[in-house]
Amino acid sequence: MSQDDIIKKPETSTGPTRRQFLGAAGAAAGAAAIGGVATEAQAKRKRNPSRGGTVRFATRADSRGLDMHRNYYYYVSHPLAATSMGMMDLNLKMEPVPGIAVGHEVSNGNKTYTFNLRKGATYHNGEDVDAASIKWNLERILDPKVGHSFVRSAVKDVSKIDVVDKWTVRLHLNNPSAVLVPNLTYYPIQFMAPGSVDKADTHPVGCGPFKFKSWKKFDSTVMERFENWYETDDQGNALPYLDGLVGRPKKEDRVRLTALRTGEVDLIDNMSYADGATFEKEYGDKFNTWPVPQVGTGYIGFNWKNGPFSPKNPHGKLLRQAAAHAVNHEAVHQAVFNGVSSPAPAFYSDVSPWYMPEIKRRYEFDPDKARFLIKKAGAQGEPIILLSRDAYAYMHQTGEIVHAMLSEVGLNVKHEIHPYSVLKSKWRKGEFHLDSSANSYRPDPDAWYGRSVYSEAGSTKLRTGFKNERADKLILEAQNTLDKGKRHELYMEVENIVNEELPMLYTHYIPLIQAGVKKLKGYQPAFPGPYSTQRAGLRTAYMS
Amino acid sequence: MLVYTINRILQMIPVLFVLTVVTFSFVQLLPGDVIDTLIGDEEAEDPELRAFLMKEYGLDKPIYIQYGIWLGKALQGDFGKSLITRRPVGVELFESIPATVYLGLVGIGLSVIIALPLGSIAAVKRNSATDYTAQVTSLIGISIPEFWFAIMCVILFSLHLGWLPSSGYVSPFEDLGQSLYYLILPALAVGFRQAAYTTRLTRSSMLDEMNKEYVDTARSLGFSEPKVIYKYTLRNALIPTITISGLQLANLLGGTVVLETIFAWPGIGQAIYLAIIDHDYPLIQAGILVLGIIVVVVNLLVDLLYRVLNPRVALG
Repeated sequence: MSQDDIIKKPETSTGPTRRQFLGAAGAAAGAAAIGGVATEAQAKRKRNPSRGGTVRFATRADSRGLDMHRNYYYYVSHPLAATSMGMMDLNLKMEPVPGIAVGHEVSNGNKTYTFNLRKGATYHNGEDVDAASIKWNLERILDPKVGHSFVRSAVKDVSKIDVVDKWTVRLHLNNPSAVLVPNLTYYPIQFMAPGSVDKADTHPVGCGPFKFKSWKKFDSTVMERFENWYETDDQGNALPYLDGLVGRPKKEDRVRLTALRTGEVDLIDNMSYADGATFEKEYGDKFNTWPVPQVGTGYIGFNWKNGPFSPKNPHGKLLRQAAAHAVNHEAVHQAVFNGVSSPAPAFYSDVSPWYMPEIKRRYEFDPDKARFLIKKAGAQGEPIILLSRDAYAYMHQTGEIVHAMLSEVGLNVKHEIHPYSVLKSKWRKGEFHLDSSANSYRPDPDAWYGRSVYSEAGSTKLRTGFKNERADKLILEAQNTLDKGKRHELYMEVENIVNEELPMLYTHYIPLIQAGVKKLKGYQPAFPGPYSTQRAGLRTAYMS
Repeated sequence: MLVYTINRILQMIPVLFVLTVVTFSFVQLLPGDVIDTLIGDEEAEDPELRAFLMKEYGLDKPIYIQYGIWLGKALQGDFGKSLITRRPVGVELFESIPATVYLGLVGIGLSVIIALPLGSIAAVKRNSATDYTAQVTSLIGISIPEFWFAIMCVILFSLHLGWLPSSGYVSPFEDLGQSLYYLILPALAVGFRQAAYTTRLTRSSMLDEMNKEYVDTARSLGFSEPKVIYKYTLRNALIPTITISGLQLANLLGGTVVLETIFAWPGIGQAIYLAIIDHDYPLIQAGILVLGIIVVVVNLLVDLLYRVLNPRVALG
């Protein structure tokens, strides 16, 4: 009997057994989850009387819009991410654990998923988070007129949704998939109260730890504690502890830091790497600094669709290798990240459950070899366009340094920095050759390999245009494999292909530095972001 | 004056019409398109979805038809919805314009309060220590980049002295005291530079006026020096100052993206900047139209003020 054919016993609202979650895709942390899930009996919503307060959180980004299906709430920065939940929650290692769903069964050769929902979970307006509401949410997301394509991509293979009973919902897929469960975590899937749909753009009603109160673009997102939220701490006290949360978007890194130092906010994200290198030493007596080792991975993408690096050029691979040899990762590490990051030989760093220590960088820094390969390729100084995004300093700073390094070995590179909409147009039209970019995470590695390496994926077609039959076969196999060890092996082989063929050259793991006032207690930063990590982040924070 | 005002309002119509045509055309020339902003990477190359969204947002029609539809609705007060947030454009503008108007008016008011006495005294006490101090100060004000002065203010008043908040905005309708507290630094950053220009202009206007015959006549009639200076000379010298202050105000109401970023001030500058980046046509169109109206109205008020200051000025 294959693992995916094992019918798991539906769970009660006390949470899943360890065995049940180990059997599910990416659910290695069931044990950690057990203590964090409230039973209905616990749901008397007892509060810890000494923990509360309001945190003013200065973030780099503000939400684009309020409708959580038409937009997506970015898990690192957008304060609105605290207002809703997906089917699954995440633990500190970014592994899926029970959330709105407390258990699930996989059947029909990974084509049918039956989720048992948490009894008693409600939306902020009092509606039950029941099977009918989940069906309504997923169907709204799947509607191309409504669902943002990034949100929709997480559930695009869902063909039919059945309400089995009030607390059981069944999802039928077009194709077998082992990645549906992690795709249903809060990023990017978030549930809103069906009865609130008319106000989705002005007053969203979710089911997360904090209730939406108001949003003033570029100014503030005000939220208050949802008193009926299900999660509890070790002592059975209801979470979150905080009475309120105020998001304060401040785009510039130094503006946020100054606001923290002057007492206008209590917590900031995305401290600049230059400040992060010295802040703890200089202000450690007044503020806490929390480094989050990795929220994304930086890379230089190569255009495989046309131009000198593409297979259309008989020497395209030689030139990609030359470019890879020309990049001094240590210099980028020091100059862009002030030594805070670490060079990336593969997509996942050692803080991820998908870390691959066996993967080594294929092409080390060797400018002489780069020059030799360029000569061997017969490159005649064709103009090469390197794109970078304007919104993230590390992207265009990496672009500037890589530009200098490639010029140093004799390539004729022009560096262009653009906003995202312009970049996307240029990617689509193939008007580039290199791209200094980065990718942050969804919990399952398929979100990277299946979206950015698999040749038929929209993102791959849009950006690198990479094609490799073996890599495609491995990625498809991994998508339908529940066993984590086996998937790890499959992705490792994909990673070796990536390192050899170079659709992209991984550069660095992107760290995130947060800092807060000493009065902020219980805050535990996390790989999955500050809002929606089970029993961590802002859920367990309070002001002393 | 009433006829003049009505005429000026009627003249606004072709100006605003041309403005909307230019803006609409300009937006079409921007690199990238709104579909790229709306659509995720996954489906960016899906022709069916692109066509669907083009139709959904009315972008599949010829540009002149799109413009006609927009204009027809705008004339009825319907600016549509933001393509990004899907909130009514009116709401988007209503959130950001008051903050900008508030900062602009107080900043300009502050500059006038500083510049008029300083410029007048510098002119009256020409070549004195006071004059030199005023000139050097205004030269510094003109030379220092606004963003640098703003950052220095934050470092001094917020970080070192801890007197004022470094960033943020509170509406005066929510809490006037807190609102003023948050306003001081941005208004100072705006006002200092504007005051520098206005001081120099007031000084030179005053010097021009003081050399005119009517000033000598007034003195020969035995009027006191303060009366000659402040009742007659300054009043006439104010006309260019008011003109420049009006233009400065109109300029500030267009939004100051850099200052808004430094002080995390939720103004129209950031809103329109982001709308341009996102190709949010309805918001760009309505924002620029509203700003155009504000500029025209400010200019009209300045013209009317000439008449108040000097009844000999003919209107029309």
